[in-house]
Amino acid sequence: MARAFSIRRQRGFTAIAVACFVALYLPIGVLVFYSFNAGESLASFDGISLRWFAKAFQNQQVIDASIRSLQIASVAAVVATIAATMAALATTRTEPYRGLTLKYAFINQPLMIPEIVTAVALLIFFARIKIWTGYSGLGYLIAAHTAFCIPFAYLPIRARLENMDLTLEKAAADLYATPWNAFRYVTLPLLWPGILAGFMLAFVISLDDVVITEFVKSAGQDTLPTYMLGQIRRSITPEMNAISTLFLLLSIGVVTVFFIVNRKRV
Amino acid sequence: MAELNAVEIRQVSKIFGFGEFAFAAVDNTSVSIRQNEFFTLLGPSGCGKTTLLRLIAGFEYPTSGEILLNGEDIAAMPPFKRPINTVFQSYALFPHMTVAENIGFGLMMLGKPKREINERVDAMLKLVRMEALAGRRTSQISGGQQQRVALARALAPQPKVLLLDEPLSALDYKLRKDMQIELKRLQAETGITFIFVTHDQEEALTMSDRIAVMSSGKILQVGNPREIYDAPADRFVADFIGETNFLKGRIGSVANGIADVDTPVAGRISATVPQDFHAEGEVTVVLRPEHATLCPPDRADASQMTGTLENVVYFGTDTHYHVRLSDGETLFTLREQNKPLQVARFAAGDRVGIALEANAARVLRN
Repeated sequence: MARAFSIRRQRGFTAIAVACFVALYLPIGVLVFYSFNAGESLASFDGISLRWFAKAFQNQQVIDASIRSLQIASVAAVVATIAATMAALATTRTEPYRGLTLKYAFINQPLMIPEIVTAVALLIFFARIKIWTGYSGLGYLIAAHTAFCIPFAYLPIRARLENMDLTLEKAAADLYATPWNAFRYVTLPLLWPGILAGFMLAFVISLDDVVITEFVKSAGQDTLPTYMLGQIRRSITPEMNAISTLFLLLSIGVVTVFFIVNRKRV
Repeated sequence: MAELNAVEIRQVSKIFGFGEFAFAAVDNTSVSIRQNEFFTLLGPSGCGKTTLLRLIAGFEYPTSGEILLNGEDIAAMPPFKRPINTVFQSYALFPHMTVAENIGFGLMMLGKPKREINERVDAMLKLVRMEALAGRRTSQISGGQQQRVALARALAPQPKVLLLDEPLSALDYKLRKDMQIELKRLQAETGITFIFVTHDQEEALTMSDRIAVMSSGKILQVGNPREIYDAPADRFVADFIGETNFLKGRIGSVANGIADVDTPVAGRISATVPQDFHAEGEVTVVLRPEHATLCPPDRADASQMTGTLENVVYFGTDTHYHVRLSDGETLFTLREQNKPLQVARFAAGDRVGIALEANAARVLRN
C-alpha cells in the first residue's frame, strides 16, 4: 500500500531515535534501580531495600548541602528572573532598531562562553574581593549563580514577548492606562507563563551547577552536586544512587509543577 | 458663534529619521474635522494617513505643528490622557480577558466605580449586539465579533473622538458591507466624531460625511464624497478615486464655466471648468467611464470618437470596455450597466464609436 507522503519517514530515523533514547535513559534507569539495592555493591543486586535512602536522610552533610543548594537556587532564580524580565521588556517591547541584535548577543553571550572560563574568572575576581572585604559567605555563590542564570531565564521570557502583539500596550495606553497600569494589567498577565518558565529553568540550572560552584565556593560551602562530586572521588556507594534518585525526583517535580501551572493559564 | 472644531490639525509635520534619511510622513498638513462628523482619511499605503491618525491618538508626537482637540492643544499629551479612543486594524483585544472585561478596561483605568462600569458594559454589549457573548474569551469569537468588541471597547469611555485604523480590512466582502452600515448607525447613535482611515475608495465614498485624500504626507483635497468624485482637485485625486480617462487638449473659448477643448482623439469637447480656475493652452480633460456609452462607429450624430474594442470584462452589475482610440495610444475605459437578458452588442476586435453624456467632461486643475 502506498503511504501518504511525509518527510518524517526516512531510512534510519527510527534506529537513531531508539539509540539516542537508550543512551540517555538506560544509565539513569540503572542508577535509579540500584538505589534500591539492599547490598553494598554496585556490581550485584541483592534485593530491594530503602536503606540507602534512610542513610542519605541521616547524613548531616547531605542535608546541609541540599539546604544550601535550595537557598542559592531560590535567591539566584528570583533575582535572575526579575533581571531577565526587565531585559526582555527592554529588548522586545519596541520596534526593531539598529543595535538591537548586538544587545541580544550581549545578553546571551554567557551561554556561549565556556563555563570553565567564567569559573576561573570569578575565582580570581572574588578572591580579590574576599581579601578587601573579609566577607566569605554565600553571597559569592548567589551572585555567581544569578549572573549565569539570567540568560537562561531570559530565553523563554523573550520568546513569549516576541509572540505578543505590540499593539496591545498601545491599546491599553489608548484606554487611559498609564505605563505602569499597562504593564500591570496587560503585559504582566500575558507574560506570566514565560516568567514562570524562565524561573523554573534558572532554578534547575542553578541547582545543577558544578563547575562554577566548585571554583567559587569557600570551605564548608558544598552544594549537593559538589558534595556528590567529592564523595564519588573517594568511593562510590549506593548512597550516591539514592541521592541522585532524589535529585532526579526534585527536578521532575519542579518541571511538573511548571507544566501544570502553565497549562491552566492557556 | 462658530462651533469649535472637534479636531484641528495646524501645519503638522512628522519627520522620521535624520539627515539624508529624513522622511516626512506627514508634511506640513492642516485640516479641520467638525463636531459629530464621519471624516475619512483616504490614500494609498504610505501616504501618511496612519501616521496622522497616530499623531491624533498620541502614539507619535509631531515634529512641528499643533493638534487641537475642542480648541485645546494636545500635541504633547500622552495617549492615556487624551479623551480619544482607537479601533485598531488588528483589533488588539486583550486575549487574557473576557469580552466584557475588554469593554470595561478603559472605564476601569479611569477609576470608575464597579456599578457604573457594569452598566456601561451592558449598554455597549447591547449597542453592538453582543450580549450573549459577554463571558467569552476573545479567542473564542469570530473576526466580525472581535471587530464589534473592539468598537464597543473604544466607545465605552465615551471619547470625544473615535479613531478607526482600517478596521474593516480583515473582514470578507459581505461582512465588510454589513459593518459599514453598522458603523454609520453607531456614529449616528453615539454622536461621536469618527475619524476613519482607509485605502478603499468605495468604503470612503459610501460612509463619509467628508473625505480628505492624502498622498506623500500631504492632503490634496477635502470635500464631501460627491465633490471628491465629481470635481477632483488634481490628477492624483481623479486617478485614485474611481477609474478615470484622461484626454489631452487645447482650450478654446470659455463661457459660463463651459470650455471648448480641442482634443486630437475626440475633436471638440465641451468641458466644465472648475470655479476660479483660469485655464489656458494645454489642459487635461477627465471623463468617468460610466459617462460614456458604446455605439456603432458610423453613427456620426452620436459618436464623439472611434476606436477598436480591445477587451470586454464582465463584472456582474456592469461590463467594462477598453477601447484603443484612433491615435493608437490612448486606452479609453467605459462602463455600461447590464440589463436583464442583455445580448452582447460588441465583441473584442470590433470597430466602435464612443458617445459622451452631456456635461461628462471636466477640465482638470493642473
